[in-house]
Amino acid sequence: MAEETKSGMHCAEFEALLFDAIDGTLATGPLGQFKAHAAACAACGPMFADADAGQRWMQSLAEVEPPKNLVHNILAKTSGKEVRLAEQAGIRPARSAAWWQPVFAGVWATVRQPRFGMSVAMAFFSMSLVMSVTGVKVRDVAKVDLRPSAITRTYYSTQARVVKYYTNMRFYYEMESQVRDLKKAMTPAEGGTKDKTKDKNQRKDTTTSGTPKKDQEQNYARDEMQPLLADASMSRTNDVSAVEQGTRQLGMGDVDGNSIFFTDTTLTDTTSIDKARREA
Amino acid sequence: MEDVQVVNLIVRRAVAGDSNAWEDIVHRYNRRIYNICYRFSGSGDHADDLTQEVFIKIYKTLSSYDLDRGAFMTWVTTITRNLLVDHFRKTKQDRVTDSTDAGTSAEEDSLTLGDQLQDSGLLPDEIQHKRQVQELVHQGLQKLSPELREALILRDLQDMDYRDIAIALKVPEGTVKSRINRGRAELARVLSRTYKQVI
Ligand SMILES: [Zn+2]
Repeated sequence: MAEETKSGMHCAEFEALLFDAIDGTLATGPLGQFKAHAAACAACGPMFADADAGQRWMQSLAEVEPPKNLVHNILAKTSGKEVRLAEQAGIRPARSAAWWQPVFAGVWATVRQPRFGMSVAMAFFSMSLVMSVTGVKVRDVAKVDLRPSAITRTYYSTQARVVKYYTNMRFYYEMESQVRDLKKAMTPAEGGTKDKTKDKNQRKDTTTSGTPKKDQEQNYARDEMQPLLADASMSRTNDVSAVEQGTRQLGMGDVDGNSIFFTDTTLTDTTSIDKARREA
Repeated sequence: MEDVQVVNLIVRRAVAGDSNAWEDIVHRYNRRIYNICYRFSGSGDHADDLTQEVFIKIYKTLSSYDLDRGAFMTWVTTITRNLLVDHFRKTKQDRVTDSTDAGTSAEEDSLTLGDQLQDSGLLPDEIQHKRQVQELVHQGLQKLSPELREALILRDLQDMDYRDIAIALKVPEGTVKSRINRGRAELARVLSRTYKQVI
């Protein structure tokens, strides 16, 4: 900028007053000099016009609305309080969930199915029981036969060592039979005819096969996964409540936290998962 | 804008572990911080992430806020601004290599200025036009240097006193005034060039 004095004001002085002049905080005396300089100076005049226009452009910008999930996400990442509130209300943060949903939604919905959850919970329970009875180390897990018939075999072969585990074992069998009853009770409540046929076949297997327990337990986790994957958006509230009830009857919350996890998740999230899938 | 006594009380309660007080703070300031981040970064997605980062930082350092050393709002703005500077340094390379990437925004900033103007010609609706003018200004703002941009945002959008801006930016008050003057003038020139270019 040219260092000139126009209308009794130096260009540097003008620039120093520019902010206050536009802000409207310049006193009347200096303001008159300021305006006179702006009118006379080829450098300062346009600068004043531009700064004035720029301020008006800026003030034309309206406040933008933050994303709806912002507060929720902030609280989730800090105090974590909003997470619990949102879970109760069945709300989930959209953006944080969005990236995995298209990929895992089907599998995840299957895993959340109460029956699948029960199977996994029982499998986990069986495994930990066998391991504790036989003294198997974690790295030897692959060598252990986890079929219920094998568990029975193992039970007798290691009887001498396992007398003190007898009560646990009996509790396991009690639970297993109750779960089997529960599964049977749940079968008629299921929606698709396809599923019904399948369950009928399974019951047939149970009566004809030489090793019914083995086939039933393994098929439950493996075979039923396929129709459920294709049918994951179908929420079966009957199943949910039945399993919840069953879980309470069995007192599984005391024995195995996993089963409670699956039940709770299913109860709170089936509707939102379904909704998300329908939107997708 | 904020009752200092009330805010100080809320902050004290939050520091003492009152989660309701913390929630109150988040509700009071999320909008302001989001807007600063949005206007500075130019992108709604970045603003979302940055605002969350700002609050995590505030949450972690809340106990270090000295009630006697200045308004809470200024402290919050300082934290926001520091994170924006970090963000700008990190993304500077990306901006150089891909200057056309404006990200997504609440105002369709994925469109170019020309598209915006052509669209505004096609949509005579007054509200729509206003929205698109705002988008032009928003994009023009992104063309300013970060020093000028942050000064303009704090002064003209957040209505902060230049003395508080000087505290937040850690520069002399005269420098704040000078940056605001230059920023405003530069923005007007950018926008006038854009209009001349397209019309
Ligand atoms: Zn001059």
